[in-house]
Amino acid sequence: MAYRTARLLEILQIGDRIGGILDLPEAALPAPGQYLPVQHLATEAEILTRPLFRVISPAGRPALGPLPTHWAAGDSLACLPAHGRGFDLPGSARRVGLLALVGQPLRVLPLVAQALAQKASVALFFDHPLHPDLRERVPASVEISPTTALVDNLDWPDFMALEVDRENLPALDGLLGEAPLSFSGQVLVSTSMPCRGVGACGVCAVKTRHGWRQACTDGPVFPLKELLHVAG
Amino acid sequence: MWLAEDAPIRKRDLVLEKPFLNAPGTLGFAPDPHTMPFLEHLGAFVTDPISRGPRQPAGTRACLPFPGGFLLHSGWPNPGLRRAVARYQRAWAEADLPVIVHLLGENPPDLSEMVRDLEGLENVLALELGLPPDCSASTLKDYLDAAAGELPTVVSLAPEDLPPLLDTLIEQQLAAVHLQPPRGTLPDAQGQQISGRLYGPALFPLTLQTTQRLADSSLHQIAGGGVFTRAESQALLDAGAFAVSLDAVLWGITPIPLGDPPA
Repeated sequence: MAYRTARLLEILQIGDRIGGILDLPEAALPAPGQYLPVQHLATEAEILTRPLFRVISPAGRPALGPLPTHWAAGDSLACLPAHGRGFDLPGSARRVGLLALVGQPLRVLPLVAQALAQKASVALFFDHPLHPDLRERVPASVEISPTTALVDNLDWPDFMALEVDRENLPALDGLLGEAPLSFSGQVLVSTSMPCRGVGACGVCAVKTRHGWRQACTDGPVFPLKELLHVAG
Repeated sequence: MWLAEDAPIRKRDLVLEKPFLNAPGTLGFAPDPHTMPFLEHLGAFVTDPISRGPRQPAGTRACLPFPGGFLLHSGWPNPGLRRAVARYQRAWAEADLPVIVHLLGENPPDLSEMVRDLEGLENVLALELGLPPDCSASTLKDYLDAAAGELPTVVSLAPEDLPPLLDTLIEQQLAAVHLQPPRGTLPDAQGQQISGRLYGPALFPLTLQTTQRLADSSLHQIAGGGVFTRAESQALLDAGAFAVSLDAVLWGITPIPLGDPPA
């Protein structure tokens, strides 16, 4: 598979994580939820590709992350085309909820601009303090609430986008309950993807209603209904 | 042909047109030219390990980095042999390179049945046998007897498996042994001890040393583990390996240590 060489133009501190701006055309960037397998060209110690996602960034400047801390502006990177399935925000969605069961909601927040552009109300449900770097990039119209607010208002959203560590997937069952949900949703499953789909290595395997799937090729964004109430 | 010129060619010998192949577990169950541009440089494609019945991913599956490499634990998920054959035999038959099917031996009777299922499949060059942990010499012999059939048998081993099995391996006149990366253990982020295969450049000195030690035996050796540069693959060929197996380097983007075979 042909790769493209890109230069890391700028490093952005995003809370305790780092993002970056690459000199890639918009068409080469991953959609929210997709990932770009990237390898540092000058560091022999970097064996595996790193999956870089679109992360929230200053207006008009698409950023990718998370980056390793030792990458620096000016570094050359080998980039494959965008991999995997990303979020598909329905054009009809008017009440969009974002839920993150991860350290900081880096990868779900890029949907905010898209949701606001289609005149949707947006709420972020997140239990930890949002890092100031993120807070300043989230438009004031986005309501930020703890996850209990979602539990108490499950009839509010008509679409939910979630970002969840693979190990935390069972927690969704308790959070969203047993009753049928009135909204559709999609889940970005955060997990290691060492082979990026080439090897079917199984490390990123996710159990779905239709059997085991690989986050690297079948995801990393899955329909919510595929993951709810599925043990493992 | 990558056989010693003075050795007789037997029906059970493994003949590769190019001295490179992939390690089991690195390229999935069938070659895919769209995602594997390096296939033309390989002498054979080794499938991911396949068991008799389906295997699910390990609950503790993980990729844990360490300086010089990473530990991978997956549980070797696979659809089971019958489903794998149904799903992939056409891709195997149509592949531009021969296929070596890696079988996870769980007991000799099952293995014997699996071997029969593979015989006669188009473009399957050999079967490769993954042994259970702590395999003894007598168990190895039982497995090799069960694997005997029309296809050459390659035994897949980590360096730590070799000492107790070496004499038996030599006696059995195998097609080849395929050196795999060693196993190791690391704590994960929650402090749980995870065991799995180790990959990365840090392993190459161990691989080269093992290859050199095996060079005096009559075993045909596919050397692998920690090969990330062309100089490393050449060093293994120079040390007596008849082919080199590549693993995590195949998951990278940048050029891999393949090229024209030495004259």
